[in-house]
This record gives sequence, structure tokens and C-alpha cells, in this order.
Amino acid sequence: MSFKYRLLKAIDVAGLQILDPVVRLCYAEEPKVQLKRIGLFIVIPTITFVAFLGLWGYLAPKHTTKSGEVPTPSVVWDAAKGILRFHEREDAKTADFNLTGVRRETELAEVNARMAELEPAAREAAAAVTAAEQAAREKLAADVAPLSEAYREKRREFAAAAKARQAALLEQAATIAAGDADATTAFQRAYAEHEAKSAAEAEIIKKMRDEQKAAENARNPELAAARLASNRIEEELQFLRKRQALLTAENAPLRADELKAKLAADEAALLAATEPAQRLALAKSISTQRDSLAQLEAATYSRPWTLPDQIGRSLRCVFLGFLIASAIAIPLGLLCGLSPVVMAALTPLISLFKPVSPIVWLPIIFIIVGGFIPDPSSSGILDFFNAIPLLGGVGINPAFLASALTVALCSLWPTLVNTALGVAAVDKDHMNVAKVLRLGVWARLFKIIIPSALPLIFAGLRISLGVGWMVLIAAELLSSSEGIGKFVWDMFNNGSSQTFAQMFVVVFVVGVIGLALDRIMIVFQRLVSFDGAPTSL
Amino acid sequence: MAYLELKNVSLGHGPQGRRTEVLKDVNLAVEENEFVAIIGFSGSGKSTLINLMAGLALPDSGEVTIHGNRVTGPGPDKGIVFQNYSLLPWLTVFGNIELAVSRVFPGMNKSERRDHVMHYIKMVGLSHAVDRRPAALSGGMRQRVSLARTLSIKPDVLLLDEPLSALDALTRSNLQDEILRIWEQDKKTVVLITNDVDEAVLLADRIVPLTVGPGATLAPSIPVDIPRPRNRTELNHLPAFRELKSHTTQLLLSFKKEKLSSTKSLPPAPAIYPADFTLGRPTPGKPRAVAETAA
Repeated sequence: MSFKYRLLKAIDVAGLQILDPVVRLCYAEEPKVQLKRIGLFIVIPTITFVAFLGLWGYLAPKHTTKSGEVPTPSVVWDAAKGILRFHEREDAKTADFNLTGVRRETELAEVNARMAELEPAAREAAAAVTAAEQAAREKLAADVAPLSEAYREKRREFAAAAKARQAALLEQAATIAAGDADATTAFQRAYAEHEAKSAAEAEIIKKMRDEQKAAENARNPELAAARLASNRIEEELQFLRKRQALLTAENAPLRADELKAKLAADEAALLAATEPAQRLALAKSISTQRDSLAQLEAATYSRPWTLPDQIGRSLRCVFLGFLIASAIAIPLGLLCGLSPVVMAALTPLISLFKPVSPIVWLPIIFIIVGGFIPDPSSSGILDFFNAIPLLGGVGINPAFLASALTVALCSLWPTLVNTALGVAAVDKDHMNVAKVLRLGVWARLFKIIIPSALPLIFAGLRISLGVGWMVLIAAELLSSSEGIGKFVWDMFNNGSSQTFAQMFVVVFVVGVIGLALDRIMIVFQRLVSFDGAPTSL
Repeated sequence: MAYLELKNVSLGHGPQGRRTEVLKDVNLAVEENEFVAIIGFSGSGKSTLINLMAGLALPDSGEVTIHGNRVTGPGPDKGIVFQNYSLLPWLTVFGNIELAVSRVFPGMNKSERRDHVMHYIKMVGLSHAVDRRPAALSGGMRQRVSLARTLSIKPDVLLLDEPLSALDALTRSNLQDEILRIWEQDKKTVVLITNDVDEAVLLADRIVPLTVGPGATLAPSIPVDIPRPRNRTELNHLPAFRELKSHTTQLLLSFKKEKLSSTKSLPPAPAIYPADFTLGRPTPGKPRAVAETAA
């Protein structure tokens, strides 16, 4: 087979059929057909996506919320970059905490150089902010002063007018003879006129006041830009200062060395000591220092969770849940498919529990898991999970296990049902082959039934993983298990416009990961499907 | 005593009370290394008959014996080639045959098994397609694999259930020659089920016609006295071959006619058409309908 067809086959198996016309076009195979397909599969979706971004960018600023304006695509993009920058900085700090020797010195030198470079810039930026603030104040004064002057003027004018009208009314009242109905009616009309005038004046006053307020609150883009620039530099400086500390005073190996030197000195002193009291004091001091040395050597940089870390933890959580679900659903599905008795026995339970929402399962599971782990600081179950390679190291806690179990409980149904269906629908002809060859139970299961049901089992697994990924975010949000769901919850509670934009970033992160998981499962599904049946996209 | 025997075998389908007899009092005796073709119309119970011989179905009454032993279930001693190949689609040609071989000859070591499998793949002329899956094979090639698989387990009796009926005419005649060649090399007891008179005359020592179901049974057999080795082109010029063909065809057609005439004619039904009715309210004292006698 030529390279071209091998490449096309690989593209097909990898589920990247979108590239198929591009490859064919490169080989100049029916260029017109390929261009048409590229138009259909690449250009049109791209146009739609761009149109979507445009519509979003147009509509978002039109709605203002408590957390500021709805972020536009560019704001969300900046937020995504901010999330990544935060992650990279935490990575650097984590590394600094344990750096030793030449590496530490070179890093420190770099940090110092960068700080020296930034400090004048920071000063300049701060000055620019002060200047901008001054300018803003002046501009504000210039904008607001005439308005407030006019406002005051108007108020005074209206107050005088009201007073004059009242005096006139009083005069009119004095001229009315008792019992003069006509004069009384005229007076009443005059009073009503006065009230209408007062109301109109109050309306004008209110309008002027609003104008003045709007001018006071007017946004000043220059000032905002200056503040942003200054903040950015300040943020980096703060980061560099922290790095400096981590490379010097807070550096773990450095502190350990100091402690060791002191310990050696004390030990020598103990050897040389003559006084019993002195010996006792030194022994005690040595003992405490040894303890703190051990603590120091076990210490790690206490890093906050970043979104990339939380994504890693979420992925581990969903895979643990998915594995648990598969380990339950596949054997149970096999039993259901093989035995009508088991099927009949389990059908009511399956039908009953299948539609239950993860939001209901999670609190129940959370409490049950908590019952197994009375003391999270010393639990055999948590130690077991933390010792598993690839899975441990993300700090498995009861919330993590509860989330994983919720994922398992909600995602096992599609696999269970599909496995049962696949097994029950094994071709009768294939079973006849098994009968003629007199295959035993296990041979029948592993040579005929499972291979034949495998495409359907994988179709079920694919749906399960998709369901699990959706359930997981909700479960993490509810259980406060560090992960994408927790990130969303934290950002929601922060309530600033920046965190609002970060929630939008999560939408895309979750979508892209869900898409990737689905693609991976499609590849597996295609690899086990023997009849070359097309798998839906 | 014959090698493969069916004695008064009957089998029906359906629930009690509404049971339809598919086969009724079937008697057949096949000698060792004899090639017998059972020929009949589709739907006459041919496949049921071969399932009985293979042990995939058990008779309601009567018995099936091979070598004097009663057949109580399927097994590798009764090799069957199915009409729809029944290959496992997830295994290659080699894998399909190897599964059968490793099950039936568990004592073979790996290289022996490989040689054994390759021998049968070569026998059906598929050496070039050893690693292909059934989906990548044509119908004829699939049936060759199925044949090789059945031959590879060295059954005492070879049962062919319309093995060629799903194939096009060219592929079919090709495979007929192949089966003829293989059987003449390595004689076996064969029962071939077919609906093709040419095929039966070409391959078999004896043709047994099956009457039309339900309640089908075997008619007296027709011996095929054409000397072997047989050759398709030569046969076509042989008057005996043509005579045998037309005789068998006539016989089969006569079964069909008999069946049609024996089925009871429909009871007479009243001849009423929508035009015979009129719309209106029933008037008391007047009959609702008046039957007119047709002239």
C-alpha cells in the first residue's frame, strides 16, 4: 500500500476525516471534488465559528451585570492567557522552593536582573497612574463644575419662584370674602397651577442631577489603561519578590543547610560540654532541631490550585469514576445478556436508578463515603488511592472519591445496557459455530460472545465517558473537590468581571476536553469494530 | 447397517394444538463415503433436515444415528457448512480455521496446528488471503473459508447446507468443481442440501428428492450412474446426464402439482360488493336487506 493510502487510513482510524480532502488535494486527486469537500467540512464550519464570535462580541457589551459587562471574546482570550500566566508563575515558584547550588544562583541572578529592569518601569507606571488620576480629576472637575453650577443656579431660581408663587397665593387668599364661591374656585385653580409648576421644576432638577452624576461616573479609558499597565508590572514585581524570597530566605535546602550547620555545632558543643545542666540544654536543643530538620526536608511549597492543575485532577477523577463504572457495568451487562433471569431481576433496578440526577446522588454518596473515612488525616482508603501511580499525588480526599463515585453511578448505565444488548444480540449463526465446536462456557464467552458484543460495548463506553465528564463538573462544584467544577464555583463567588471572563474560559476548556475524550473513544470503537461499520461523528 | 441413518424422523414447529409438521416420517440411509444430494423446493424443510443430522435440532419422534450411535447434539464429528458462511467477522481466515482446529485437536503444538490450518487454506485456494478478515472477502471466498474450516476438523460426516445458493452462477460452478475435486481426492460421507438440479447431478452418487412441505418426506432416491472423475464440459454432452436432469426436474415439479391439487379448494364465499348496499335509515316493518339470487 502506498504512503498516501496508509496516511488516509491513519487519518480515518484517528477520526480526523476532516483532513482527508486536504491530503487528497495534496496528491492532486480530483481537485474539484476535494475543494468542494474542503469548503463543506472546513470553510463553512470556520465561517460559522467566526460569525458566532462576531455575534458574541457584538451582543456581550450590551448587557451589564453585577459582575460587570458580559465579557467579549477578546476579554475571554485575555482571561485565558491570565490563567496560563498564573499557572506558569506557580510552576516557577514551586521549582524555586527546592532549587540548590548553581541553578539557584543563576535563577536568583535572573530574578534580580529582571527586578532591576522592572523597578524603573514600575515607578514610571505609578507616576503615569498618578498623572492620569490628576488628569481625570481635572477633567472631571471641568466636566462636572459647569453642570453642578447650573444645577445650583436652577435650584436657587426655582426655590425663589416657588416662594414668590406662595406669597402671591397668600395675597390672593386675603382678598377672598367669606362665602364668595367664585373667588374660592379661582383660588383653588391658582393653587393647582402652583403645584403643577413645582412638580415640573422638580422633574427638571432631577434630570440635571442625573446628568451631573453621569458625568461624575463617566469612565476614563486613559486612567483604566494606566492602572492596568501599572497593575501588570506590579503583579510581576510581586511575583519576582516572592521568587527572590523562595530562592533565599524561604529556600528549603538553604534553610536545611543552615540548620545542619547549627546542629553540627551543637553536637560538637555537647561533646565538649562539662556542665551537666549545659549538656541537658544542648541535648534538648539538638532534639528540637532534628525534628524541625525532618519537617523541613518533608516540606513542599504550598502552591495554590491553578486551572491546569485542576483540569489534571478532574481528568483523574473522571477516569477513576469511568473505570469503576466499567468494572461494574461490563460484567453485569454480560450477565444480563447471558441470563434472562438476571435480566429480569435487574431491569426494575436499572430502570429506577438510571434517571436519577447526579445532584441527588452526590450528597448521598458524600455522606456514605464520609462514613468510611472518619479521619481523613489517617485513612487506609485514602492512603491506598494516594499510592496508585498516576492517580495519587493530586491529594485524594473524600470529596474526590465522592465525585468519582457519583460519576461512576451516573455513567454506568449506557455501558450496562449496551453490553446486555450486545451480548443478547449475538448472531445465532455464530452460536451455531460454538455449538458444533462444542466450546465450553469460557471459550464461548471469550471467543464468541465478547468479541461479537465488543463494538456495542465500546459504543456504550463512549456514551458513558461523555456522561461522566458532564456529571463530574457538577459533582465537583457541589462537593468542593478541587477541579474544574470547583474553579467555576470559586470564580462565581468572586464576582468580579475578571472572574466572570474566566468562567467563560472554562466553557471552552470543558468543551474541548469532552470533544477530545469522545474522539479517543471513537478511535477505540473503530479499532474493535470488525465489520468496518461507520461510527457516527 | 448404513453409516448415517434417519428412521421415521418427524419434526414440527409452533405451539401445541397449532403445530405444523415440517418433516414427517423421514427415512434415509447413507452409506460410508457416499455423496448424497437432497434436493427440494425452498421452504420444504431442507435446512431443518440437515439441522437434525447435525444435532442442532432434535426430532420429535424417530431417531438419527451415525455409525449406530444416536445423535443427541451437535459436535465436530458432524461437520456442517452453513448457507451464510457463519464466519466470525473479527477473526482472519487463519484465525477462523485455527479456532476450530485448536478446539478439535487440542494435542497439536503450535507449528503442527499452523501447518494443518495452512494445508486446508491451500486446499480451497486461499493462500493469498490468509490474514484477511471476512469483510474483505467475496462471497465465494467466504464459503471457501467455511468449507476449509469444516474440512479441517476432519468430520465423520460432511453436511453441506445449500453452501452455494447465495453465490453467483460463475462462482458457484467454480466452487462445485472445487468440491468435486476435493471429495474425489479424499472420500467422505457427504450430505448436500441443494435446490439446484445440475449441482446435484454433477456432484452426487445419489439424489434424494424432498416432497413439498408441510409434512415433507423423502421420495425414493435416484441413483446417478455417471462414472467418476466427472467433468462438467464432458457431462453436458452426455445423454444420460441430460436425461437425469430432466427426470429429476419433472419429478420435483410433479410434487409441487400434487401438493397444489391436494390442498382443499376455498369454500364458496358470498358475492357481495359495496355497490350492493344503499345508504338510509331502517324503516320498521321492512327487512333490512334483501338477498337477490344471482342469475
